[in-house]
Order: sequence, then structure tokens, then C-alpha cells
Amino acid sequence: MSGPPGARGRRTGLLLVLPALVPVVAVVGAALTSALLAALGLAPLVGEPRLTGAAFTAPADQLASAVPLSLAIAAAATAAAAAVGLALALAAVATARRSRLLGALSAATVPVPHLVGAAAMGLLLADAGFLPRLLGVAPEDWPALVGGRWWVAVVAEYAWKESAFVALVVGGVLASRSRSYGETAAVLGAGRWARFRTVTLPLAAPALGAASAISFVYVLGSYEVAALLGRAAPEPLPVLAVRLSTSIDLAARPQGAAVAVVTAGLALLAVVLALRALRRLAAWG
Amino acid sequence: MSGELRLTGLTRVHGRGRPPALDGLDLAVPAGSCVAVLGPSGSGKSTVLRLTAGLDEPTRGSVHLDGRDLAGVPPERRGVAMVFQRPLLFPHLSARDNVAYADRVRGAPRRRARARAAEFLDLVGLAGLGDRAPRELSSGQEQRVALARALAAEPRVLLLDEPFSALDAPLREEMHELLVDLRARLAPTVLLVTHDPAEAAALADTVAVLEAGRLQQHGPVAELHARPASLSVSRLLGGRTEVPGQVRAGVHHSPLGALALPGPVADGPGVLVVRPEAVALAAGHADVTGTVVRVRYRGLRPLVTVDAGGVAVHAELTPGDDVVAGAVVGLRLPVAARHVVPVRPG
Repeated sequence: MSGPPGARGRRTGLLLVLPALVPVVAVVGAALTSALLAALGLAPLVGEPRLTGAAFTAPADQLASAVPLSLAIAAAATAAAAAVGLALALAAVATARRSRLLGALSAATVPVPHLVGAAAMGLLLADAGFLPRLLGVAPEDWPALVGGRWWVAVVAEYAWKESAFVALVVGGVLASRSRSYGETAAVLGAGRWARFRTVTLPLAAPALGAASAISFVYVLGSYEVAALLGRAAPEPLPVLAVRLSTSIDLAARPQGAAVAVVTAGLALLAVVLALRALRRLAAWG
Repeated sequence: MSGELRLTGLTRVHGRGRPPALDGLDLAVPAGSCVAVLGPSGSGKSTVLRLTAGLDEPTRGSVHLDGRDLAGVPPERRGVAMVFQRPLLFPHLSARDNVAYADRVRGAPRRRARARAAEFLDLVGLAGLGDRAPRELSSGQEQRVALARALAAEPRVLLLDEPFSALDAPLREEMHELLVDLRARLAPTVLLVTHDPAEAAALADTVAVLEAGRLQQHGPVAELHARPASLSVSRLLGGRTEVPGQVRAGVHHSPLGALALPGPVADGPGVLVVRPEAVALAAGHADVTGTVVRVRYRGLRPLVTVDAGGVAVHAELTPGDDVVAGAVVGLRLPVAARHVVPVRPG
């Protein structure tokens, strides 16, 4: 005999996602467990294992500056990516019948690796880069976009790359729904701006929220762009974690693991908050 | 809430080299009346509504509402509201806020808009369901909310694009009753599009038959049934018997014999059409005699096909008229129900 349809449906659903779930849980679980063990002194490179929180307290000063910096970079890049991505998605949906060029252009950004993007952004925005030369600005007059105080190049690279991802996700949702709901709103008396505010934006919100949450967590834990285009100090969390983990001072390595655990904890918190917010939005989606 | 709509020479060509979706439609919808545009799928009937609502631009022709040309007026300023085949309730708003939508976008305070929305929900029989999200409503309730939402916009013309075709038969009946009731109370001007002749007959004062983008005939539904202008109109309205022959001196001559016609008809070739429900079993004198080749049932009514001299005559008999395939029967074709459709050249 079979169980109730709900339970059976859930079981079938679980079985279907299992092939994807097992490797993810295995890899992430193993990595997190080993990082946690190392951070707590239970897997030392030399000496006896001993439970201690020293790896978390020793880099407290660096963590105190790295956490807000990483959160700020991730928030700024995500906000910019969400705004640009939404605009791209709207433009692509509005012109979908006339031209696919816009969609193709925005999608072309997706397969470009971040490392290549970072290098390009450096060549473009550095004080001796392509942009100041094009504009005829002397290097000493050019603001410090690369390696400067405001992490402009880092945020710009992440925003550029993630906006294409946001556009792709949001565009997919809007393409199937925005026209019919938009027309419905129009015949009910809603002008262009009212339609955007009361129909398009709420329809896009679940996809925009999900894509933004993924983008935020990605930027929070991503290393290479901040390492290439950021300044030496203060360091964002991933850069700090990598530097400590590869330090020639073996005693610092558990601290690298501790920073990685803190980063993972922050990412997890962001995911939980985003999921809670999304559940409210997705209730109607 | 009711305005007079006039469509003049309305034409829409979707792409170069393609036949027009709508070709020179002239149609008047008097204030407070309900006109149904009836046609098979692809006949251009939804195009009529989209052009009227301003969702598409006409290639030629004009839309006048209360004498005002609506060319270049965007949909939101036309004073029309439309209910589509799918309810398209905004998923992020409750039923009440969906109905309050038109008032809200016009700047009415939330409290007043919601109070009015509650009235309109009451009008469509959904009082007390205002707090529900669209996904918590049945398909019939969703379409009622969509109707309430359109009415709450107080349009001068209400456009209905096959709004009940996705509902099952009992729900559709219910919605027809509701619409008849709403018409009696609010007297809105309604332009309804449907592919269902029964729906057109149930709801509309007059019916405009559209085929391949061209208006075939426009008139009261009884006239369309009794005197279809063409075979396609006759077929669309459920006419099945078609007897080719010649008209001479007011009499139609065909393999069925000489059948007198009710009114003057020009001599020449013509196809005799008779509605199946007008045909009855002959108690005494029979106009036509033939062999029953098929019997089907619609509810209790037998639908009979009789082969009379190689011509198929279709009859919808009264319950209890039990005939079996193979039986020889006499049929009466009442003179008043005989109508000849001229044969079009080509």
C-alpha cells in the first residue's frame, strides 16, 4: 500500500534532489567540519589536540574590521547588481519581441570568470588604466578606484558580473508573467509608473530577492576580486582567511580556519534571513 | 457607467504579407446594451477587444466612445475595463485589494477603496472572502473577483474576452446568471467575445458573427438563427441541414422535392437551411420522408440524422420521440423555419 499522497510526493521529491544534495552536503559538510575542528584546536598541524577558542579571539581586532567591510562590500555590490539587473531584465522583456540582442549581451557576462573580470576591471579603472587614458585624465588626478579607500573597483566588478545573473533570473520570471498582468493593470487605469510599482516590481520581487541573496552570499565569501583589486588593509574576510591559512606561522593557521567559520556563519545567517523574507514573498509567487 | 461604443472600419494586420486579423469591422454597441462577438478561434474576435482597449493599435479604422475618437489614447485613460479568459488576479494582493486596485491607482485612500471593494465583492456574491489570497479561491470565485475588479473600475464599456470559457458547465451557468443580474442592476455597456453560441444567446442583446476577420452578420440572436446570412453563420450557430437546390417563384426545388418558402426570395441557386430544433416527426402529412441513419442524444432529446433522397436532414426531436436507426420516418419542416442562403460565386 502506498502512503498518503503528500508524504509520497515529498519522498519522491527528496529522491529526485538526492543526487544533487549528496555531493553538496558531503563537500560543504566535510569542509566546514574540518575548518571547525582546526579552528577549535582539535586538528592541529603539530602537537596534541586541545579544545580552545583562542583562534577566534586572537584575530579579534582584524575580525572587527573585516566583518563590517565584507558586509559593506557585499551589500553595495548586491544593491548595485539588483538595480542594474532589474533594469536589464525590464529592458529585455520590453524589447523581447523586437530584439534579442540585449538579452544575449547581458547573458554573455555570465560565463566570464570573476578573475578575468577583475583583471579587466583593473586595466579599465586603475590610475594608469584605459578609462583615465580615454578621458585624458592624468594618473595623479584620477581617483583611487583600484586599491582605494572605497573599494570601488571591487564593488564594480561584483556588481557588473552579478547584475547579469540577476537579469537572467528576473528576466525569466518577468518574461512569462509581466505582459498579461501589465495589460490587466493598464485596462484598470494604471499608468506606466503605477504598473511598475504595483505589478511589475511585486511580480519580480521573489526572483529578485532570491538572486540578490545568492549574489550577497557569493560576494561575502569570494576571494579573488577583493585580493586583486582591494587595498592591503583592512582586509575583507576571505582575504584575511586565506592569508592566515597560508601563513608561514603555523600557529596562525587555526585563526584562518576560524575566520572561514565566521564567514560561513555570516553567510548562513544571511541565507536564513533571506529565506524567511522570501517565504513571505513566495507565498503568492 | 455605460457609454456608447462605435467601431468604424477597424482593421488590424499583424505583419506585412499576412492576411488581416480584423478587416474593416463596423460595429455599434449602444449604451447599456450587450453585444456578443461570436466566431471560431482565429476569427479575430479577441483582436476586436484588444483594439478597443488600446492594447494594440489598429492598422486602419477608429474606436469612438461617446463620440470621442480614442486614437492615441493609452489603455489606462480609455475608460474601459476588460476581463480575460484567465482571471489574472494580482497574486500579491488579497481578493479585496484586487478589487480595490482601480481606485487605489487613481489615488483613492486605502480605506475608501477597500470599502467600495467590499461592496463589489458583495455584488458578485463573495462577501466575506475579501481577505483571501487569489490562490485560496476556486476558479469560479477567481473569475467573480476578476469581474468585480473590472466593475469597480467603473468603466464606460466592459470588455469580456471569453471570461467563462475556462469554467466547467455548472459554473458557467452560474456566471451567466450573475452577469444577467449585474446587467439588470448596473446596466453597463458590454462587449463580449465568445465562441459559444449558447453563451452569446444567453447574455447578449445582439450578436455579431465574425469569420476570418470579417463581419458576417450582426443582429438579434433569434434573427441569426432564423435567417443566417451565410452557411458559415448557420453552421456557427448550430445549423446542420444544408440542401442545395434552385429557387423558382418562391419555391425551393431540390432532391427533397418542392418546398414553399415563407417570404419572397430571388430566383436562382440557393441552399435551404432548417434549424434542427424546428424539424419534428410528422404525425400526418410529411414534408420529407427518409431513413434514420443515426441517433444521438443531447440530454433526453434525440438528435436524429435522416437520409432523404441522398440529402441529410438533421432533427432535434422532443423527449419521448423514440426512433431507431433504419426506421423510415416522415418529417415536418415548418414553412416559417425554411430559409434559403444564396450561393456565393466561387
